Amino acid sequence: MVEILIDEDACVGCGSCVDDCPNDVYKMNEEKWKTEVVNLEDCMACLSCHEICPAQAMEHRDIHVAKRLYIDRKVTDVLEKII
Amino acid sequence: MNMEIEDIRGTFKPETIPKETTGDINDYEEALHVLMKFVGYMSSSLEQVSGRGANAIVYQAGKRMGHDAGKMVEKTDDLEKAMNELSEILGIEFVFEMWKPSGQEDYTIEKGDETIVKLLFMDCVVRQTLRRTGLPQKGPLCYLLYGYMVGAVEEVMSIKGKLDIDHVGSNACLKTLTIKWGGK
Ligand code: SF4
Ligand code: SF4
Repeated sequence: MVEILIDEDACVGCGSCVDDCPNDVYKMNEEKWKTEVVNLEDCMACLSCHEICPAQAMEHRDIHVAKRLYIDRKVTDVLEKII
Repeated sequence: MNMEIEDIRGTFKPETIPKETTGDINDYEEALHVLMKFVGYMSSSLEQVSGRGANAIVYQAGKRMGHDAGKMVEKTDDLEKAMNELSEILGIEFVFEMWKPSGQEDYTIEKGDETIVKLLFMDCVVRQTLRRTGLPQKGPLCYLLYGYMVGAVEEVMSIKGKLDIDHVGSNACLKTLTIKWGGK
């Protein structure tokens, strides 16, 4: 079963994830002004919320992770040497 | 870059069907990346030249592929069976499943002579290609998959189909398949 963790220290309360999620998984907690998960069952693990979050504040656990065939291993090898 | 190119020498007769590819996983990876780049450039150039017409061209190409692929499986009018068969012909590069919101009872919704089902595409080689080439989702290349899916459904079920995109993400995309009963 999917689990979503929100790093409240990182969340800047922009609400982008609330607007972006098509299944209303998130809601803004207006007291803390941080996002919160209110509808976990409808999360389909599309991860568009990860793309939109400026703070990388969320983590999805126990989901199907799509293959990453687009990664060019030659580029990552070079990057590893540099970084 | 210092790249060593291996010279493979052997005998080749016209009637021989080689069993070996002579390549390894690195060759496949290399070929995949070249193809992804090629297809990505082709898609963006097509869009530049034909504007929105690019979507129609790519959709038609996908539809033809889908019809050809659909000929390889048994015909059925059972939607769930068709989805399973389609998932087999689409293969591991297009992993999808039927999806429904938690408040909805069944996967399918009947509306007059139409049946509607939501499909969640988890692995998709089109999405991989778009990411490889830095192109946005929902562009012409996504129409290849729409066409492919619609063509295959039409072939397997002998009906008219339509696929609409609901939402795209980096890990999965949600689509709505509408089937119109009553033949082509
Ligand atoms: S992964 Fe998709 S469905 Fe799940 S919370 Fe994020 S945007 Fe919503
Ligand atoms: S997009 Fe990120 S930073 Fe913005 S509200 Fe959502 S979790 Fe917080």
